[in-house]
Amino acid sequence: MAVPGPIPWDAPAVTRHAVDAREVEFERLFEEYSAPIHNYVLRMVGDHDRAADITQDTFIKAYRKLDTVTDATSTRSWLYRIATNTAIDDMRRRRMVTPMGDDAPAFANRPDQGPGPEAQVMASTLDERVQRALLSLRPNHRQCLLLSDLDDMSAQQIGEVMGLSYAAVRTLLCRARGEMRRALSAEGFAR
Amino acid sequence: MTMNRHEPFEELISASLTDDLTPTERQRLDAHLDSCDACRATLAAFADQRRIMSGLRHVAPPRDLGARVRTGIERGRFAAVPWWRRPAVIFAGVGGSLAAVAGALLAIVILNGQASDPPVGVNTSPTPSAIVEPSETERPTLPPIATPTPDASPVETSEPSPEPSATENPVVEAPEPDIVMAVTGPVEDLSLSVVEGSTGETVADVQAPDEDPAGEPVGPIGPPIVAELSPDGQWLAFITEKGQSGLNDVWATRLSEAPEPVDPEASPPVDSTAAIGETVHLGVSIAGSPFLQRLAWSPDGAHLAYTLMNPDAGEEADEVNTDVWVFDTAEASTRQITDTGTAYAASFLPVDEDGAPPRLWISRAGPEPLSSLHELPEDGGTIAPEDGAMSFAEGVFQPLLSPNGSLVIFWSGQMATDRDHGWIFAFDGAPQLAEVTVEEGIHSFVEERPVFSDLPSRGELFRSAAITWSLDGDAYAVWHADWLGETSDDAPYPDANRVYFGHATDPRGLTQRHAIDSADVADGMVVVDVEVAPTGRHLLVTARERAAGLEAPRAELRLITRNLGNVADDFKTVDVAEDGWAGPAVFHPHGEPDWDSSLAP
Repeated sequence: MAVPGPIPWDAPAVTRHAVDAREVEFERLFEEYSAPIHNYVLRMVGDHDRAADITQDTFIKAYRKLDTVTDATSTRSWLYRIATNTAIDDMRRRRMVTPMGDDAPAFANRPDQGPGPEAQVMASTLDERVQRALLSLRPNHRQCLLLSDLDDMSAQQIGEVMGLSYAAVRTLLCRARGEMRRALSAEGFAR
Repeated sequence: MTMNRHEPFEELISASLTDDLTPTERQRLDAHLDSCDACRATLAAFADQRRIMSGLRHVAPPRDLGARVRTGIERGRFAAVPWWRRPAVIFAGVGGSLAAVAGALLAIVILNGQASDPPVGVNTSPTPSAIVEPSETERPTLPPIATPTPDASPVETSEPSPEPSATENPVVEAPEPDIVMAVTGPVEDLSLSVVEGSTGETVADVQAPDEDPAGEPVGPIGPPIVAELSPDGQWLAFITEKGQSGLNDVWATRLSEAPEPVDPEASPPVDSTAAIGETVHLGVSIAGSPFLQRLAWSPDGAHLAYTLMNPDAGEEADEVNTDVWVFDTAEASTRQITDTGTAYAASFLPVDEDGAPPRLWISRAGPEPLSSLHELPEDGGTIAPEDGAMSFAEGVFQPLLSPNGSLVIFWSGQMATDRDHGWIFAFDGAPQLAEVTVEEGIHSFVEERPVFSDLPSRGELFRSAAITWSLDGDAYAVWHADWLGETSDDAPYPDANRVYFGHATDPRGLTQRHAIDSADVADGMVVVDVEVAPTGRHLLVTARERAAGLEAPRAELRLITRNLGNVADDFKTVDVAEDGWAGPAVFHPHGEPDWDSSLAP
């Protein structure tokens, strides 16, 4: 439906055909990628509501920038990059301070009335334990590990998402695997 | 840091899981695995890990995600359109159709300001002037505190004008920055240059060296987020982002020859072995908080102090390792001058007698931060806050001296670590403004008062913020305010995306009304860096587009003129990098330099 009244003098000349094509392309992207992007974001932030919000924002931003995508093969990386940046923005806004050290503020030394770590591990599902391990990683480690092992991206594709060289991704991924190995071990996984 | 003998193979093992090995690498790995139990165990653990990750439960998105996205698109469709071009009513379609728009535009005259939230003027109507030389005879002192009560408006220094006009609030001719950094080109091949602010001519094309002074390979240069010019104008120090890695690079580029000595009796200016146009890589750091982005030049331009947070420090996720480094311009070399793992660079003292050794404030982060003043150690030496300090300031973190050294803005409160940001404030964190006194060689910070004067009574809830002084030693700006307190959704305060611009001689300190207008930074952009002009009335704000997609990063540089009463600020875009990244910009501390004689080859 057209906007009634005079068209502003500097309005872009968008034809009805172009608008329709854009809508169709966006619907296709949403159909194909909304589920994997949501899953990736959920594993990044570990919270269902935040994951839904971030996925929503990702696709709104993608819609607005859809005209800038020229290379069809990079669309997936492009979407994941938007999702990653949106998630990082969200994590920055919500980051929590973790006091540490021997002389950290007194509340850090309050006796813990809850179950001990071993009991917590035993009570958790496998999925929860892996998620806890993931959330203990540095964000960039978590990000590249998820892109590799959850979304099955190559080092080249991860580089496109994270803005890193192929060599840098390989190094980062190795460190992430090392960190995840220790985190999984702390969660009671054997190796 | 040492590398164990399995480490090179661990990277190959990791890459083998995604078939990212060359045939040669594959052969090398296979041969090693045949004889190494530890690496076979690593391969098994990594393979298990990959299996576990790929087997994670897939959680479907909420059913209403499509409708939420569509609603968001319709809501935002007109957000970037100026209000006078927006349709009066938007009927958002549900479930996929484009918005239907009806209604007529109403012609309503609205002042391009915020009547309910007028910008605050300054007490002493500053006028643009030539660059202000730091001067011992112009040492501003702090006025008595005029803290506004929560219910009362801050003191108005000029009556709001119902119909502002240019004659009542003349916009002085805005000063151009001396130099501006500019990034252009596609994302995979960014080109960084230094541009003269007034002419747009290139002063230097910044070329990343292949390796740093320690012989480590250096990657390409990313978009710059902080820049500081040395007082003698020879060197530009700057920090760039390293892709999306969460790391930053620190660099210095030599822009000009050593200046001619003005006083033949004085020490000769520092020359350097580096060629004009040469860029030196000073280190890599976790990006972290604004505390890590301090670039402190010594008064003679011979040394730059900066902080690096080691990205490879420790295996523990929460481990933080920060230390102070110095770049010596004469030899174009770097050295680590602290070894505590908690040290941050703060400020060099201005020169008070010729030939005096450079003296540097450093800070030890911790639950009880401590700052101390030291003579710069000899090459190879290190300093610790507890040893050999000329002065101590307990409970003080990262004192930022005004250019003439008479005032200081520092942080107080209890600190804690955040693995993404290093040390930040956890309790009672707040910036404080104070005078500096020196008695018998002991430096003290006196007449301390909070920089922000109208926060709630328990207002010390900052985690961090970025702060900079103007060269006039009076004006200052605070931005990137990371505030833990309750804020109003209508007007969050302190707002992380607003710049708070005040003057040390203003008894009100900073208040909500000292924020630059919300329109001063374009919709959808976030502040990267702020430079306060020596006029004390202008800001150069570098603002970036929120990164999206694979396009090259974009930032624009806006020159903002603070206006008085309820007249909106004026701003203009400094056009140096069309469709690219413009900023940060800097002013020369000692007058306009002559870049023409030092153009890069």
